[in-house]
Amino acid sequence: MDHQPVVIVGGGPAGLTAAYELTKLNRRPIVLEKRDKVGGLARTETHKGFYFDMGGHRFFTKVKEVEEMWHEILHGDFLRRRRLSRIYYNRKFFYYPLKPLNAMIGLGFWQSLLIALSYLRWQLFPYRREETFEQWVTNRFGKRLFLTFFKSYTEKVWGIPCSELNADWAAQRIKDLSLKTALLSMFLKPKRTIKTLIDEFHYPRLGPGMLWNEVKGEIERRDGVVRLNCEVVRIYRTGNCIDHVVVSCNGHEEIIRATDFISSMPITEFIQKLSPPPPPEVVRAAAKLTYRDFLTVCLIIDKPDLFLDNWIYIHDPGVKVGRIQNFKNWSPDMVPDLAKTSLGLEYFCKEGDALWSMPDTDLIELGKREVDRIGLASYADIEDGCVVRVPKAYPQYDSNYRGYLAVVRRFVDGLENFQTIGRNGLHRYNNQDHAMLTGMLAVRNVVLNQRNDLWSVNTDQEYHEEIRVETGAEVRDVEEALQAALTRVFLKLDRVAFGLSVGMAAGALLFLATLGLVLKGGNVVGPNLRLLGQYFPGYSVTLGGSALGLAYGFVAGFIGGWGFAFLRNVAVFLYMAIVHRRAELQLMRRLIEYL
Amino acid sequence: MTEDQKALEEVVLTRLLRLNSMVQGLVAGMVAGLGVFIATNWLILKGGKAVGPHLSLLGQFFIGYRVTFVGSLIGSAYAFVCGFVVGYFTARMYNWIAAFREGRRQGHG
Repeated sequence: MDHQPVVIVGGGPAGLTAAYELTKLNRRPIVLEKRDKVGGLARTETHKGFYFDMGGHRFFTKVKEVEEMWHEILHGDFLRRRRLSRIYYNRKFFYYPLKPLNAMIGLGFWQSLLIALSYLRWQLFPYRREETFEQWVTNRFGKRLFLTFFKSYTEKVWGIPCSELNADWAAQRIKDLSLKTALLSMFLKPKRTIKTLIDEFHYPRLGPGMLWNEVKGEIERRDGVVRLNCEVVRIYRTGNCIDHVVVSCNGHEEIIRATDFISSMPITEFIQKLSPPPPPEVVRAAAKLTYRDFLTVCLIIDKPDLFLDNWIYIHDPGVKVGRIQNFKNWSPDMVPDLAKTSLGLEYFCKEGDALWSMPDTDLIELGKREVDRIGLASYADIEDGCVVRVPKAYPQYDSNYRGYLAVVRRFVDGLENFQTIGRNGLHRYNNQDHAMLTGMLAVRNVVLNQRNDLWSVNTDQEYHEEIRVETGAEVRDVEEALQAALTRVFLKLDRVAFGLSVGMAAGALLFLATLGLVLKGGNVVGPNLRLLGQYFPGYSVTLGGSALGLAYGFVAGFIGGWGFAFLRNVAVFLYMAIVHRRAELQLMRRLIEYL
Repeated sequence: MTEDQKALEEVVLTRLLRLNSMVQGLVAGMVAGLGVFIATNWLILKGGKAVGPHLSLLGQFFIGYRVTFVGSLIGSAYAFVCGFVVGYFTARMYNWIAAFREGRRQGHG
């Protein structure tokens, strides 16, 4: 083993994956985790034998290496589970993505009719400018559907009114939808085997924390170090090289040196802790990057079954809870007693705001009241609870974040022996699998001298892939064949060229037909063909008339050909626009999941 | 969006369609041939005192053509050839002009 250690700041999915990969490549990692357990944002908390997953982590990935690592670590403890996640509104469950019949039954005929009329109204007279999220969604779904299924939940998640939320964020979700993806989604029939990857997912028997505890054990067995309760308080550099970090472990500080450093700590914190500090513009930019936080009120309920879903979205504006996890439906082993149910009530908030600062007892009381109010469980059946706060859960994508992040990234990319990974390290809305991938790629950069761009690993790609997965269009050879065909079918017909060629053909035909009859001769030459003179003034079946016929035929043919090409192009354009729009709506149906 | 996806959009939005001359000729020929065959036989089946007085004027161009079943076969052969020639040369001409115009546009770009 190479005894030059690599320091990894953060024991979440990205950091632990990096450490695990390092041990495989005979390098010694030192993982520094500030909490008392590993897993980071994907950790599993416990209370009286009940396991609580912070956020609900579906194990579903298209990254082969990640999938392999999950199986390699968990073996038989990696369960395959069915997915069900519905919207709970007005004491009724609505399938998500919305299914028209289910929505109609749930909302009632009158409400459904009003939604349909509202949709038509906004399709005919949309907002001219789409500056806010409200305007953007309304233009696509109508005001009533927006008010019913988008407004309340979005405002809970982001904490600001939809009329103040920038439309850019939502538009971003479909901005990169390619014509190719849209067309493929139209042409290819769904493949059941691939579709099931969305309807089902894998899950560790005791939650994601089980995976990360196993990974920790594996790292330690291979001579790696994972230190809990060790917070990095300062990071010292000389020029563009990190020299050492100062950590605070159980109240005392120590220095840790290494040749390479990988960090999954929030990029804003990293910039703050650097010494000497980066240039002022970098510090200012980092300070502008913000996060959304959440807290989970964990409740233990003395009932064996409450609802079938893994999680539900709560759209009721009368309660503060945004999403409820039913952990027993993720894995039966998440509860020690099958006669009871454990729920995780997720409240989206901001670190330090009223909800965040509320005492735990008050939060549990709030959770109990809200669950009772929306009719999921009776207040009297709730026998215990606890609260877990998750700071910096979501990097916030406000309208200016790209600019600020670019400034920070330029500086960080200039550091020679340092790489930032993970959701908060890259300030990117990465899922667990993509966070893990950044850890793997960072290790390859360190050990194998590769030049992987960690910033390009993102979840937007997967979001768009869902359409492709649903259609089975990720099959490479099918794609290539289709792409070749599509480029042929959907190209523009050149109007002028087509007009000219048809004009020439028509002119030549009329010229030859006239000339043929003239040469043939007879008592009355071309009595029928000369009727064309009614449309072409001056035309006759004579030698001179054939020349005029050539010109007339050309002009008429040109107009006909040009018009045909024009209409054909319009038809193709409209078709492509419709296909793109449909694919957009398909993506939009999953929008709530990505709020 | 990946590079090849961008490339597809670029191609669809900026490049011009090319016609396959042979296919265009065959299709135009078949449409014309079938048209004459059906039109002739339709009039024969319809019957009457004078069968197809106007369609028989095609005989001025298609020597041997008459509004009879045999005539429909002869007429459709003629029409196929004419249609093929017109379709083929229209496509060739279109491709040539389109290539010229596209080349000029790219030269300006």
